[in-house]
Amino acid sequence: MDVLAQLAHGFEVALAPLNLFLAFAGAFLGTLIGALPGIGPVNGVAILIPIAYALKLPPESALILLAGVYYGAEYGGRISSILLNVPGDAGAVITTLDGYPMAQKGKAGEALALSALSSFIGGTLAVIGLTLFAPYLAEWAIRFGPAEYFALMVFAFTTLASLAGKNPVKALIASVFGLMLATVGIDPGSGVPRFTFGELKLYDGVDFLVVAIGLFAISEVLTLMEHTFLGTATRVKVETALVSLKTFMGSLWTILRSSLIGFFIGVLPGAGASIASAVAYTTEKRLVDREGTFGTGDPRGVAAPEAANNAASGGAMVPMLTLGVPGSGTTAVLLGALMMFNVTPGPLIFEQRPEIVWGLIASMYIGNVMLLVLNLPLVGWFARILTVPRWFLVPAIAALSFIGVYAVNNSAFDLLFMTGIGVVGYLMRKAGFPLAPVILGLVLGRLMEINLRRALAISGGDYSILYASPLSKVLWALAILSLFFPWLAGRFAARRVPEGE
Amino acid sequence: MERGRRTDRIAGALLLLVSAGYGLEASRLQADFLADPLGPRAFPLLLAVSLGVFSLYLLVRPDPDPAWPPPHVLTGQLGMLVSFVVYSYALAPLGFLLATTLEMAWLSRLFGASWRTGLLGGLGLAVVLYVIFVFGLGIPLPLGRWWPA
Repeated sequence: MDVLAQLAHGFEVALAPLNLFLAFAGAFLGTLIGALPGIGPVNGVAILIPIAYALKLPPESALILLAGVYYGAEYGGRISSILLNVPGDAGAVITTLDGYPMAQKGKAGEALALSALSSFIGGTLAVIGLTLFAPYLAEWAIRFGPAEYFALMVFAFTTLASLAGKNPVKALIASVFGLMLATVGIDPGSGVPRFTFGELKLYDGVDFLVVAIGLFAISEVLTLMEHTFLGTATRVKVETALVSLKTFMGSLWTILRSSLIGFFIGVLPGAGASIASAVAYTTEKRLVDREGTFGTGDPRGVAAPEAANNAASGGAMVPMLTLGVPGSGTTAVLLGALMMFNVTPGPLIFEQRPEIVWGLIASMYIGNVMLLVLNLPLVGWFARILTVPRWFLVPAIAALSFIGVYAVNNSAFDLLFMTGIGVVGYLMRKAGFPLAPVILGLVLGRLMEINLRRALAISGGDYSILYASPLSKVLWALAILSLFFPWLAGRFAARRVPEGE
Repeated sequence: MERGRRTDRIAGALLLLVSAGYGLEASRLQADFLADPLGPRAFPLLLAVSLGVFSLYLLVRPDPDPAWPPPHVLTGQLGMLVSFVVYSYALAPLGFLLATTLEMAWLSRLFGASWRTGLLGGLGLAVVLYVIFVFGLGIPLPLGRWWPA
């Protein structure tokens, strides 16, 4: 079968010593980053991009490292959720509901082992899904014209708007803000400088990395200032992480169902790990919680969100790789990183740069196995990270952000710009504007405009080309539908979705 | 205007100004030749109009205010931001090691460490990062213009 041959080629790439080491480094750093409250996958990936870039890694190796951090963080996030009742990242919020009660009952080791296994199964099933679906989706997407692409991107923004944060209008404002940032610089169509105010440094456009690190890492540091009183755990005790076969088998169906849910939610453009884990948990609660034990330390309540958030991070790779339209904030950052390496994901990448796509997919199989090994026997070691005092941790995040941004251009201007974006990001967070749409807008802005202009160049200025084909009609309909989705869902159940990754 | 929804009203007003300024700047754009029917102006104008509409909505239907941090936290955040600006300018002349040690000590202090612990932690972090980045990863960091080579 063709897919198997491609996958075998991918394993050749992923098993090269450098890439194998990078997959391990990504998995290790990802677990660490996920475990630390305060830095989630987005920050971790953003901070590591300049290092990957400065090391002049080939694009497939850089992607293997950065993706490892992304899915590795979904493993690490559960550690502090279970031990401290503090989620390590947004995707692990739901894990606190049953994970912490289990730890209080003295079953911390069992909860950690079960969640590691759930993460592994969810993550691996998602990579299998990615292997099977991505090539077909890419083949199908080759037929997309500029009008379809434009509609698809609008759809990505509207789903993100309806799912990230509480107020869709605020998410739309954040998207437009990102798109506006993307218009700064020389217009690719006409060569006219736009919104540069004569500043030569802006002719190349706003630096994606400076915005990503400022928006996520610097604003996070400012947010952490509000929580100085929280303090840190002084002592974290973990016995060996083991789970009985009986408990594991009792959760197996929950894990499989939640993996499926997580994968499909991850594939949706805009929806990521945090939404997937919430949906999986509520579904399982409805299906299997007959004695009302969910929320009191039910193992299935730990298995469901962990399987789902790992499956979602694999699923989110599908639209990013096949369509070039990211499915979450973190994949938007990954897409931006690939663009820095002059690689534009999309349907053609499967034919033109198979080593990147298939190398990444193969490395995800390997990475998940590494993560399982890292997270079962070494979990006590990772848990000790939680005792690092805040007065050291937060300045260290700031220092890494500054080095990362400085390493790219050696410019003080970039550092100031990053600080400014950090302030904007902090104010946005406080006022309830989600940050992921800004990055999505910045990453997609140029493509969106180019596709719009190309479509109208084809039609000679006739706007009806934008909704002429059946496919674009469907995409527009979905976009409009997704905007009304929260309102519709709100009529059935007044339930709030936690903020996107 | 009742109290309690001011944040979104202020944000809405500011965003309306941004959309007007951005739209004005966009409308001034001129291309010497047109490669496509839309030109460099249309997409930015579309963005300006969308932002205008969304910010009007925010003005009309604002959310309740978030809990803004108390004054002592704001002071701390301001102290942090000022130090970021100073660090940006001090990095090249002072060099990575000295600038980072001082900056980290200051930040540690803001997060509740004593000067002594902060300086020691900052020095340790700066040296470790310097070794990792310069010798391990081959990424040059400034040594400092003020010191003899």
